Amino acid sequence: MKTEARPSVGAALERVEGVEKVTGRARYAYENFPDELAYAVPVQATVARGTVLAADVDAVVRLPGVIAAVWHGNAPRLAPADNAELAVLQSDRVSYRGQYVAVVVAETLQCAREAARLLRIDYDAEPHDVELRADHPEMYRPDRVNAGYPADTELGDPDAALAAAPVLVDATYRTPAEHNNPMEPHATVAVWSGDGLTLHDSTQGVSALRETIAPLFGMPPENVRVISPHVGGGFGSKGAALPPVVLAALAAKHAGRPVKLAVTRQQMFAVTGYRTPTIQRVRLGADTGGRLTAIVHEAFEQSSRLREFAEQTTTPTRVMYAAPDRRTAHRLVRLDVPTPAWMRAPGEAPGMFALESAMDELAVACGIDPVELRIRNEPAAEPESGLPFSSRNLVACLREGARRFGWAGRDPTPAARTRGRMLVGTGVAASTYPVYRRPSRASARCDPDDRFTVRIAAADIGTGARTILTQVAADALRVTPDRVRVEVGDTALPAASLAGGSAGTASWGTAVVRACEALLEELDRRGGDVPAEGLEATADTAEEVGEQPEYARHAFGAQFAEVGVDLDTGEARVLRLLGVFAAGRIVNPVTARSQFVGGMTMGMSMALLEESVMDHEFGDYLNHDLAQYHVPTAMDLPDVQAYWIEEDDPHLNPLGAKGIGEIGIVGTAAAVANAVHHATGVRVRDLPIRLDKLVR
Amino acid sequence: MTMDFLRPATWAEALEAKAERPGAVPVQGGTDVMVELNFDVRRPDALLDLNRVAALGEWSAEEDGRLRVGAGVTYARLIAELGDRLPGLAQAARTVGSPQIRNRGTVGGNLGAASPAGDGHPPLLAAGAEIEVESAARGVRMIPAEEFYLGVKRSALEPDELIRAFWTRPAGGPQYFSKVGTRNAMVIAVCSFALALHPAERRAGTGIGSAAPTPRRAVAAEEFLAAELDWDTGRLDPGLPRRFGELAAGAASPIDDVRGTAAYRRHAVAVLARRTLTWAWHDLWAAGPHEGPHDGPRGRVRRPGGPVAPGDPGDPEKPRREAG
Repeated sequence: MKTEARPSVGAALERVEGVEKVTGRARYAYENFPDELAYAVPVQATVARGTVLAADVDAVVRLPGVIAAVWHGNAPRLAPADNAELAVLQSDRVSYRGQYVAVVVAETLQCAREAARLLRIDYDAEPHDVELRADHPEMYRPDRVNAGYPADTELGDPDAALAAAPVLVDATYRTPAEHNNPMEPHATVAVWSGDGLTLHDSTQGVSALRETIAPLFGMPPENVRVISPHVGGGFGSKGAALPPVVLAALAAKHAGRPVKLAVTRQQMFAVTGYRTPTIQRVRLGADTGGRLTAIVHEAFEQSSRLREFAEQTTTPTRVMYAAPDRRTAHRLVRLDVPTPAWMRAPGEAPGMFALESAMDELAVACGIDPVELRIRNEPAAEPESGLPFSSRNLVACLREGARRFGWAGRDPTPAARTRGRMLVGTGVAASTYPVYRRPSRASARCDPDDRFTVRIAAADIGTGARTILTQVAADALRVTPDRVRVEVGDTALPAASLAGGSAGTASWGTAVVRACEALLEELDRRGGDVPAEGLEATADTAEEVGEQPEYARHAFGAQFAEVGVDLDTGEARVLRLLGVFAAGRIVNPVTARSQFVGGMTMGMSMALLEESVMDHEFGDYLNHDLAQYHVPTAMDLPDVQAYWIEEDDPHLNPLGAKGIGEIGIVGTAAAVANAVHHATGVRVRDLPIRLDKLVR
Repeated sequence: MTMDFLRPATWAEALEAKAERPGAVPVQGGTDVMVELNFDVRRPDALLDLNRVAALGEWSAEEDGRLRVGAGVTYARLIAELGDRLPGLAQAARTVGSPQIRNRGTVGGNLGAASPAGDGHPPLLAAGAEIEVESAARGVRMIPAEEFYLGVKRSALEPDELIRAFWTRPAGGPQYFSKVGTRNAMVIAVCSFALALHPAERRAGTGIGSAAPTPRRAVAAEEFLAAELDWDTGRLDPGLPRRFGELAAGAASPIDDVRGTAAYRRHAVAVLARRTLTWAWHDLWAAGPHEGPHDGPRGRVRRPGGPVAPGDPGDPEKPRREAG
């Protein structure tokens, strides 16, 4: 067989499932119609805290078309779960408004909706507490924060260093609750057969979902199959198992029918997670030359009564800048609210809004250019761990960004430039995101027709994972990508890590390369002969990933923004957004650009638009649809550009790639806020930058 | 529970159906009604689909010089076919929703919903439009726009009446609509303002949106303009737009909500009033010193991004020009 081909990694291979998607043949979770399918519609709590006293399920099941009505009084019992959010319909307690308290299964969606509306639930309501305050008496220090980081860190004597610092920035920043709104809302089709369960689900990780669901229903993982070939966006909200998928499986079990459950856009604001609101105090001590002597970053966040989810808000501060004396801390309060969860760059996105806004304030205070200020505080090794960086090109990103953006000669004076009736300003911020890699398995197969099939239970949530894995496999097999077919999104395939933490390319790519290498070895051993039944090799990267040497592995970037603010109305618009990133090797420039541009657009949205408004009286999020929860339209970002620095980092993985899915959002909100300050002289420390905050 | 779907073929049948079923909710483009049904905001026992009533989709120039625009004329057609004669309304229409919404939505529907945030209302108020409504029992009734809006989503329409058309004069002078929103497209107004100069009568009309329980005129501000504008020389006292803005803001009674605070809305109404006046007055006298105001229709049209779009060069107090 011929085994020569030009490298595919680095080429702009078109999305391999593109035609399938644009012609509507790509099948998403909701589009599965097994025989005997019934429809499930959940009933959500109308109190934020209390007890369910009764549910008149008998009246509802008498309605025509209704198959079953389930509440905790008659629900199948689940095994205890680590995550109490998943103990769906297992108790009479209501922990937040919108929590599932019942579900109706009917022959049609219309019947189920109507019956769910009519189902009478009696509550014993209790007073609720849904307001995050830094001085909340129940604030506590969690043991660890998301992704396993320690809650607090301290080096030296930051308080003394702050007291002695010639220049001090001490500011409190706030970010609101924000909700993921992928194009495709969450959906599940649950089918039981015997003691096996098949889930067609919109998920970022079939393997992880199976591992969570199976024990809930008292089954070994192999009894559960999860199928998810196409996912219409996730941003983290489809990463961990959520109440809707449990409810679908439970309803199907109780009803004895395959069940479809589609989460509506409005329901997403209660049951599919959100970014915690944060209150962050940042204190920076510096000499008059802008060299940091102390950094203190403290975050206050919320979680639900059900589960401790502590976002790692201040962890990027442990990575960014050199300073001998430093402290980071996280404090959490449990409120009568839904459990927060992952939203693109959890921790980094809100945390870097605060840190990078504070750095801009320091630049103003010291009279130093904000690009130069960051370069002056570049550390030689990771500041807290002391580990060497596997590669760190923040300075190159800042310089290249400044050159492309036209930063040189910028007059730092705020509120000094107008264009028409706009005040115009520019801002910069840095960004960072950790490089994770998780164990995965993969198989590679060659058939006698010299075609290759690579199988891995990865997820393509719209990022282009299937496409880039095709490129990776083609190079590892030394063939052209048209001879490689990659199958993802099914637990029938070798188990893989989920699409999260920007770790897909590194984790799955490693497994795919190793499986392809093993196959080539086997082929070599056979002198290139492929037996009639084909030849297959597998790989498991657990050992390789577990044994990787210690380095500080992070991607870096710099975003530059130009904004215009209407002099009279305060309407702020981003005129230009430019990002430069150092993220290892870029596997596919087209799909990579989409990730960077998409991330930056989401960061601009975080800066100006997104805010889930808590209704303190009723205890739920008020603006729970896209008419009121605004995300940008095509008209709102006329000029957005992404570039990257070529980085050759031998300490990462066989691809030399860092993750790129999340770093685009990190830093962007601060770049926009800093530009708004430059334009108007108004420092907005609480996102979003609503027009009424810019008009006095 | 079932919902009847009534599909009259003619205007007479539609009026009969409405007389028989006063609870029936008329639906034209469906851009408001269908959303409310989908969100279970209301459950009428019948929907009255007016899409087959062809006459509603027509407009005509009437003998009294006014335009009669059928309730079923979409925003997209209003922009394309009547943008030159109804520039204020066309500007407002351009800021409604997305292209898809503008292809379906109608001013008639805007009137039927009577939301204080409806973009069509302020220009109708400023132009002094009248709403033609009709019932099988009592025939036609003409309701001035300013008497049409009674409360949040409440209008003067009786349960057995349907909106047939609105009547308005082709613009006799410059008209402007301006809106503040949080993004550049598909945005509900934080607040809006419409101004129409009526040079032949030496007066101006106004309309405020999203800053009171109903769309409303700023009557004191209109009276101030009629009394103080220098219609003979075109000279604009620099303090005059500011005072006009203050009076317009005084006519608003806004609330705090997720889109903006009441204080901000008052401020913004003043800004929009000042701006629209300056733009319109500038247009009126743009040809330079002359004997008096123009009489003919004014067709200046703003670009689709609307007054909230960024990147427009021009002095803060001068109108921005339509590109092309």
